[in-house]
Amino acid sequence: MRFATVAVAIARKDLMSEWRTRELVPALAQFVVLALVIANFGFQIDSHNASAIAPGVLWLALVFAGLIAFGRAFAAEREQATLEAMLMTGAQPAAIFAGKALAAGLLLVVCEAVLLPALGLLFGVDVSAGLVGAVLLATIGMAALGCLFAAMVAQLRARELLLPLLTLPLWIPFIVAGGQAVQSAMGGSGAFDQAVKLLLDFDILFVVLTSLAARFVLDD
Amino acid sequence: MTRYFYAAGGAVLLMLAAAGMIFFFAPEDALQREVQRIFYLHVSSAIAAYGCFAVVLLGGVVYLWKDSLVADRLARAAALVGVVLTTVTLVMGMLWAKPIWGTYWTWDARLTSTLVLWIIYAGYLLVRRLAAPGRQAARFAAVVGIFGFVDVPIVHFSVTWWRTQHPGPVVINDALPPEMLATFLFTMVCTLILAGVLIAIRYRIETLLDAKPVAAVVSAPTQTEPAR
Amino acid sequence: MSALVAERLSHWFGSDPALDSVDLLVDRGDHVAILGENGAGKTTLLRILATAIRPSSGKLEIMGLDALRERRRLRGRIGYVAHTPGLYPALTAAENLAFFCDLRGADRERVPEMLDLAGLSQVARKRASELSRGMQQRLAIARAVLHDPLLLILDEPDASLDAEGPELLVRVMKDRTTVLATHDQALATRLCQRTVVLRRGRVFGAGSRLRVVQ
Repeated sequence: MRFATVAVAIARKDLMSEWRTRELVPALAQFVVLALVIANFGFQIDSHNASAIAPGVLWLALVFAGLIAFGRAFAAEREQATLEAMLMTGAQPAAIFAGKALAAGLLLVVCEAVLLPALGLLFGVDVSAGLVGAVLLATIGMAALGCLFAAMVAQLRARELLLPLLTLPLWIPFIVAGGQAVQSAMGGSGAFDQAVKLLLDFDILFVVLTSLAARFVLDD
Repeated sequence: MTRYFYAAGGAVLLMLAAAGMIFFFAPEDALQREVQRIFYLHVSSAIAAYGCFAVVLLGGVVYLWKDSLVADRLARAAALVGVVLTTVTLVMGMLWAKPIWGTYWTWDARLTSTLVLWIIYAGYLLVRRLAAPGRQAARFAAVVGIFGFVDVPIVHFSVTWWRTQHPGPVVINDALPPEMLATFLFTMVCTLILAGVLIAIRYRIETLLDAKPVAAVVSAPTQTEPAR
Repeated sequence: MSALVAERLSHWFGSDPALDSVDLLVDRGDHVAILGENGAGKTTLLRILATAIRPSSGKLEIMGLDALRERRRLRGRIGYVAHTPGLYPALTAAENLAFFCDLRGADRERVPEMLDLAGLSQVARKRASELSRGMQQRLAIARAVLHDPLLLILDEPDASLDAEGPELLVRVMKDRTTVLATHDQALATRLCQRTVVLRRGRVFGAGSRLRVVQ
């Protein structure tokens, strides 16, 4: 199926580029660790409040890392006029979008592989499989939305300002449900199962919507 | 242009009539006293704002589907009016909150989603500004408008699911005495009419802006047959 | 059936007119050069012909298909070289071509063939960022003919060509309908039998091997 071939080819290309240049992932990893360290000072973390504040810090770090990662996914294409070159091959814009979002999402996951253990270590919280699963689920929807608006914003001026403005309102449901899921997983009160179900519902809704919208954002 | 003048005048008169009703006809609220009178305009403008954004959604969908410039223009007009009305809603809400709860702001579902609504459509207007005028602006704005509209109830739901603090929906429970209900309904109708008139006026302005002279090429000779 | 029929193509960016009522007829096998100064509208015209953007108004028919409705299908038969090469700097020359092969659903065996055609076989394993501007341009041209297109659209292909460049152009244009934009009148007359001159978005003059007096 052409769609899958195109998407996979693009994802591979992006991951290969990142592997060769190693620009994004080290920067993201450093960023999230730094965010944790600063949170420690900013929130005056001690053994009592660490587990209460940890979920919030996790999402803050993830949101900012996500904005950077997804912003970069399309900024580079724009600079090299390669987005148009891809469209000119006659490939479906939705497939191009899927490939980009897949790659960017995976790069964010690599960053999460640093963030979560660091969080566990520095904040003394338990990083369970459930927690990891919830974060991964949220990453899917966030990647779809982040990449759609990154694609849009890459074609405009003032992109650093505009990307958070457009993306964050759409990420709120993920942060709310994800925050609840993480908090429950860390042993707080709350409905872990419900939160995860919500994340899944949001994922399905927004992956479908962004796929449909992709052709209006990428192509004329 | 005079019919717009009359329409605007009429809408203003209606709003004055509503104001009269709010201050002189509606009884004072037992618990919240005079401050409660803000509620009539606050809720009306919220509903009118949602109405505007529904028009933006519709305009966006029709534009993407049929390439209709009229739909895009309508969306533009409605978005601007909607943002103004949302600002009014937020400000009135804050003025109401301070005497009642002692604080200008709380992060409950309704306030949060109204703020998010404002941010989304401020973003919509910004995207329109920054995109290449014409098709790119219309395309992008339509996408933002559609996602924004879908997002607001979801945000509202998410935050509700999480916690809430807003006083119960006064209109829906029949605790509203008839005079208050009548006042509210009248104010809402007047506000909707005002919103409609504002959109119509803005639509006209957008039409005039769209029709700016195009391809006013000066001295190059015209070709008379296809270049061969 | 003509290769390309453009009727009253107009395009404006907001209220900024870029093209005004351009008519163009290109037969199969024609090589047409679009001449004009910077800002005359050459790039805009070419982008519309390549189906990269839709014109604000007008009709366009390419190889019998309505270019406004069948853009994706047409893109499979058009080769376009834009102003900037649009290559991936971190990928090698060969990988760049292979990637676009995958996107087009073309056979990867074309890659060494194309590299050879463009005289880039020696640098196949070099990253695109390490290639000279002239080589990058040649690579972009090779990419445009990977899928053996019926129509070739070149936006100022001479802009950063090196010594081997013009020969490559002749080779890819052979037996292929081509529309190219350039400043260079000498190149235009050398490669194309017809020229069309654009000025401020309008067709200023046209002819065969026209000697244009500006």
